[in-house]
Amino acid sequence: MRTAKKAQLLRLHFAESDEYHGKPLYEAIVQRAKELGIAGATVFRGLEGFGETAELHRRRVTKKDQPVVVTIVDTAENLARLVPEVRAMMGTGMIATSEVDCIRIENPPPGGVPSP
Amino acid sequence: MLQTGTAKKVTIFINEDTQHHFGSLYDAILQFLLRKGVAGATATRAMAGFGAHQAMHTTRIEVLAEHLPIRIEFIDSAAKVDALMPALHDLVTDGVIEVQDTNVVKVASRDRPSPPVEPHFEMRGSGRLMRIYMGESDRWQGAPLYEAIVDRLRVLEIAGATVYRGILGYGVKGHTHKSGRLPFSRDLPIMISVVDSEEKLAKAITEIESMIQDGIIVLSDVDMIRLVRSRPEPEPESSHADR
Repeated sequence: MRTAKKAQLLRLHFAESDEYHGKPLYEAIVQRAKELGIAGATVFRGLEGFGETAELHRRRVTKKDQPVVVTIVDTAENLARLVPEVRAMMGTGMIATSEVDCIRIENPPPGGVPSP
Repeated sequence: MLQTGTAKKVTIFINEDTQHHFGSLYDAILQFLLRKGVAGATATRAMAGFGAHQAMHTTRIEVLAEHLPIRIEFIDSAAKVDALMPALHDLVTDGVIEVQDTNVVKVASRDRPSPPVEPHFEMRGSGRLMRIYMGESDRWQGAPLYEAIVDRLRVLEIAGATVYRGILGYGVKGHTHKSGRLPFSRDLPIMISVVDSEEKLAKAITEIESMIQDGIIVLSDVDMIRLVRSRPEPEPESSHADR
C-alpha cells in the first residue's frame, strides 16, 4: 500500500565530535526529534569534509571527528517546531531544507494476505 | 616521447633546503618539468659537496645534513629545452644550470602506448533524486533488502544507486536503529539514493514497492550533470514526430 504526500527534507551538517550536554550532538538531536514526535531521523557519517573553519574533518588516530549529516523527513509544520530547538543545540554547522515528495510504503508481512 | 639521436641534457645543482613558495625548490622544479611534459627527470641527493657559498655540505655533520646538494637531470630535444630554459632560469634562484649535448641511444618503455583518453561528454538535464529509507536487517527472499533493491534497479537500467549506512536513526516503526554490542545484532538505518529521470524512477517505484514491507521513499527535483566516457546512444525518436 502506498501513501504519497508533500513533505520537507531537513539536513543538518556538523562534526561527529560536537557535543551537547556531554553527549554526542547527533544523539541529542535524534532524541529531541523523537520527543517532539518527528516521523523519523537518520544519522550518516561522512568520510571526510570541511566546513566554516575550513578545518578538515576526518578520522584520526586519537579522536573521531568525521562529518555527520542528520536527515529528517516530515511535514513543514513539524519541522518548523524542530528547527528552532536544533538551532539552539548546534554550535557551528549547516541547516538545509528542501521540498520533497514523500511516499510511505506499508505491506503486510510475508505470509499475510497480499494487498490488491 | 623522447627520440633516439642527438638531444640536450640539462643538469641543475641546488640545495635541498632551498625554498620555493613554502615548498622545496627541487620539488617545484620536478613538478614544473612533469607539467611541461618532459620525458623524464631525476633528482639525486649528493653525499657531500660545496658551491658558490664555499661552504661544505656533508652528511657527517648533523646540522648540515639537511643542507645537502641536489642534482636534477633531464634529457629532451633541443627545441624543448630551449623553450623551458627561461622558466627554469627564473625558478633556480640559488644554484647552477648546465646544458650539454648528448646522444640518446635507446628509449625503452615497458608499458604499451596507452590509448588516448577520450574527453567525457556532459549530459545535462533535470531529473529526480530518490532516497529510499529502510533498516539494515530488512530482508527480501533471504537476501538483504538493500542488495535486492540495487539488483532490481540495475535490471531496470537505472543510471546508478548508492547505499549509505547510517550510524543512528529511528523511523515510522518507532524503534531506534543503533549498532548493538555484537556485530551481528546490529540493525542500522540504510538509505539508497538514486538519480534518474522522473519516468524511470516512477517505473522503479512500482517495481520495488512490493519488496519493501515498511519504508519511506523521498523524491526531490534535481539538476543533474552526468559525465560519461561512452557516447550516449541516440534516444529513439519521439512518437509524436509524424503523427
